[in-house]
Amino acid sequence: MDRFLGIVLVAGLGCFVLAFVLSGLYPWMLNEGSAPEATLDELAEDVSVEFKDLKERWPEGFRQAYGAEEALNLQELVGVPEGDARRTASDAAWRTAYRKALQDGRDAYVGEGCWHCHSQYVRPVANEDTRFGPVSRWEQDNNALQRPVLWGTRRVGPDLTYEGTLRSNDWHAAHFWDPRVVSPGTVMPAYRWFFRDGFQVRRRIDPDIASRTGLDPQTSYPVPGVYDTRAEAEQAMARVAAETPENLAGERERLFIEEGRGLNDRGLSILAYIQWLGTWQPQPVEGGA
Amino acid sequence: MTTADVPFPAGAADRPDERAATGELVHKALVKWHFTLGVFFMMTSMTAGFLVSLNFLGAYPFEDIPWLSASRLRFLHTNEIAYGFLVNCFVGAMYYAVPRLTGRPVFSKGLGWIIFFVWQFIVLATSVGQLLGFAQAVEWGETPTGFRPGTFELNYIPIDALIAVGALLVALQFLTPLARSLGKRMYVTGWYLTAGIVWLILTYVMGNTLPEWTMPGASGAATVGLFIHDLVGLFVTPMGWGLMYFFVPIILRAPVWSHALSVIGFWALAFFYPLNGVHHFLLSSIPMSVQYGAVISTMAVEIVVTTVIVNFFGTMWGRGHALRSNLPIRWFYTGMILYFITCLQCAFHTSLTLQKTIHFTDWVPGHAHLVMLGVFAFWIIGIITWLWPRLTGNEWYSRRLNHWQYWLTMLGLLIMFTDLLAAGVVHGWMLDALAPWMDIVDAMKPFWHVRTFSGGMILLGTALWSWNLWKTARTPKPYDYRVDLVDAEAA
Ligand code: HEC
Ligand code: HEM
Repeated sequence: MDRFLGIVLVAGLGCFVLAFVLSGLYPWMLNEGSAPEATLDELAEDVSVEFKDLKERWPEGFRQAYGAEEALNLQELVGVPEGDARRTASDAAWRTAYRKALQDGRDAYVGEGCWHCHSQYVRPVANEDTRFGPVSRWEQDNNALQRPVLWGTRRVGPDLTYEGTLRSNDWHAAHFWDPRVVSPGTVMPAYRWFFRDGFQVRRRIDPDIASRTGLDPQTSYPVPGVYDTRAEAEQAMARVAAETPENLAGERERLFIEEGRGLNDRGLSILAYIQWLGTWQPQPVEGGA
Repeated sequence: MTTADVPFPAGAADRPDERAATGELVHKALVKWHFTLGVFFMMTSMTAGFLVSLNFLGAYPFEDIPWLSASRLRFLHTNEIAYGFLVNCFVGAMYYAVPRLTGRPVFSKGLGWIIFFVWQFIVLATSVGQLLGFAQAVEWGETPTGFRPGTFELNYIPIDALIAVGALLVALQFLTPLARSLGKRMYVTGWYLTAGIVWLILTYVMGNTLPEWTMPGASGAATVGLFIHDLVGLFVTPMGWGLMYFFVPIILRAPVWSHALSVIGFWALAFFYPLNGVHHFLLSSIPMSVQYGAVISTMAVEIVVTTVIVNFFGTMWGRGHALRSNLPIRWFYTGMILYFITCLQCAFHTSLTLQKTIHFTDWVPGHAHLVMLGVFAFWIIGIITWLWPRLTGNEWYSRRLNHWQYWLTMLGLLIMFTDLLAAGVVHGWMLDALAPWMDIVDAMKPFWHVRTFSGGMILLGTALWSWNLWKTARTPKPYDYRVDLVDAEAA
C-alpha cells in the first residue's frame, strides 16, 4: 500500500468514495426517497401580497422587469366579474412574473454575497427559535431555490429564514439604499445599484394641512412611478391630473416633476425573494430524515 | 521499520552543489513563475481581505461601486487565496519536489507553460466573474459555473469546467513521474502528493456539480460541507504535509524520525479526514446519525495529527537550534505548532456543546485564518524562502526583511486569532441571551477594529517579503548555499 496504484485506488478513490457515500449520498437518498424537490412553479404558486405591492409602488420598474401587463392589482379588478378571462389572465401573469422574480432574486442574493452575512437555518439551540422562528426542518429546504443550498456559515446579520412579510417593502428599499438610515450603526453594505434614476411625479401637501400641522409647505410626496425621461413623466402627470376628480382641483395644481429613484429589476427581484423567504411551507413528510 | 530503510533522503545531504543537481531535472523557470504569481495573488487577496475588514468598521471606501462592493470582494479574498495563492505555490513546489523525489522529469515542459497560462487566466476570470456578480453559492467554490444557478443557461465563462480540466492536466504532469515508479515503494511525500492530486479532481467535480444541479437543501448542505472540508483536508493538507516530509529532512539533513508513524499519519488522514465534512453544518436538519459520525471522526483526526507532529519533532531532535538559525525551518515548525492548535481547537468546537455558542460567529473565520494562513501559508512562505535564492542564484537582498516579515505576520496572526475567538464567544453568548441584533453588532466592533489592525500587520509583513523577493531576483549577488545549511560543519 505504499506503491503508486495502492495509493491511487485505496486512498485516492476508496476513502473518498466511502466518505461521499456515507455523508453525501446517504442523506440525499433519505430525502429524495421521502419527498422529491419542490419545483420553482410550485414555489411561485401563491403570489404574495408583498409582490403585488411592488407593482403599485414601482410600476415602471416592475413593467421593465417583468412585462406582466395583464397582471392586475386589486383596484383594477374592481367590477371584473368572477371567472372573467381577465382574472384568469391576470392570475397567470402574476405567477409568471413571480416565478421570474424569485429566480432572479435568488441569483442576486447569491451574486451579491448576502449569504456570507446571513444564514437561512434556525438551530434548535441558543434560543434561536424564540428569536427567529420555528427550528428548520429539511422539507422546508427541499426546493429548487435551495440548490445550491443557502444555509450560510456566518451570521453578521440576522437569520433570514422567516424574513418574508416581517417588514414592509418600503423598509427594505430604504435599507438597501442606505442601511444606516433604518439601522444606525449597521455594517451591512449599501446596494445602490438596486435602484434606477429617472423622473417622478410628486405632489406638494395641501397648504391648509401644512399650516394647521406646522409642516413645511414645500413638503411633497411621490406618486408611484419612476420614468426614464422627463417626457414620459409629463405624460404620467397629465394622466394623474386627469384622474383627479373635479372637486379636488387644488390637488392638480400641486403636481410637479422631479428627479426620482426607484427599484430596478435587480432590486425588485431580490426584494420579492426576501419577502418570499419562509412564506412557503411544505407539508411535513412521514418518516423523513 | 527503522530509519535505515527509508529510500529518501539518505543521499540528499551528500550532493555537492544543489544548483548543479537541479539543473536539468527541474524546470526552474516554472517553479519561479508559479511562485511569483502565487505571491502576487497572496498580496491581492490580502489587500481585498483588508478592504473587507474596513467595511466592518463602517469605513469602506468604495461603497457606491457595484463591482467593488465589500460583499463581492469577499469572494475574491477567499478564492484568490485558494486558487491563486495556494494552488500556484503548491504546483510550483511540486515542480521542484516531484522530479527530485522520483529522479524523473515531469510529463512535459511545454504542458507546464500551458498549465501556467491557463491557470492564471482561470484565476483572473474567476475574480472578474465574481466582481461582476456571477458567483456560485458554494463556500470556497464560488468560482462561476458559467450557468445561471441551478439551470443550464450560460451566462459567463464556465470556470468550473476549466478548473476541472486544469486539475486533470496537473495530474497528467505530476502523476506521470510518480507513476513511473510503479511497483516500487514510494517515499511518504509521494503518497501525499499522489493522493492529493487525485482527491483534488474528485473533490472539485463533486462540489461544483451536485449541490448545483441535483441536491437541494439539507442533502446539498451535506455535500457542500464535504466539499469545503475535502478541499482543505484532501488537497491543501496532503500537499502541505507531503512537501513538509520532503523539505524538512532536506533542510535539517536528517531522515524522518519514524517511518511507521508516517504510515499511520497518512492512512488515518485518508480515512478520517473526508468523513468530517458534515461538521460544517451541525445542529441542522441533516440526519443526526450523519452529524454524530462527523463529530466523532473530527475528534479522531486529532489523534492522527498528534502522530504526525510527534514524528516531525522527533526528526528535529538534537537540531533545535535550527529554529533560531534557519528561517524556513522556523516557518515550518511554527506552522506545525499552529496546526496542532487548530486541530485541537477543532476537536473541541465540533462538540455540539461548543457548536451551540460558536457556530455562525467570528470564531469560525478565526479558525479559518489560523489554519489557512498560520499553517499552509506559513509552510509555503518557508518553502519559497528556502528556494528563492536557489532559483534566482542571488543572495537575499535583505535577510533582515525576512525576519521582519516573520514577526509581523506571526504576531499579527496570533492577535487576529485570539481576537476573533473572543469575538465569537461574545457573539454566541449574546445570541443565547436574546440581545437585540444591533447590540450584538455593536459589541463586535472593538474586535473588528483589532482585526483590521492585525490584518494590517500581516499585510505589511507580506508586502515587505514580496518586495524582498522582487529585489533579490533583480539584484545579482552570488548566493552561497552553504550559509543556509544546518550543521554544515558536522556533515
Ligand atoms: C457585511 C455583512 C452583510 C451583508 C453582505 C449583507 N447584510 Fe443584510 N444585514 C447585515 C446586518 C449587520 C444586519 C442587521 C442590521 C440591519 O438591519 O442592517 C442586516 C440586516 C438585513 C435585513 C433585515 C433583517 C431584519 O429583519 O432585521 C435584511 C432583509 C437583509 N439584511 C438583507 C440582505 C440582503 C438581501 C443582502 C445582499 C444583497 C445583505 N443583507 C447583505 C449584514 C449584511
Ligand atoms: C491581510 C490579512 C487578512 C485580512 C485583513 C483578512 C480579512 C478577512 C475577512 C474580513 C474575512 C471575512 C470574514 C467574515 O465574513 O466574517 C475573511 C475571510 C476569510 N479569509 Fe481572510 N484576511 C486576511 C488574510 C487571509 C489569508 C492569508 C488567508 C489564507 C491563507 C485568508 C483566508 C480566509 C478564509 C478561508 C476566509 C473565510 C472564513 C470564513 O468565513 O469562515 N485570509 N478574511
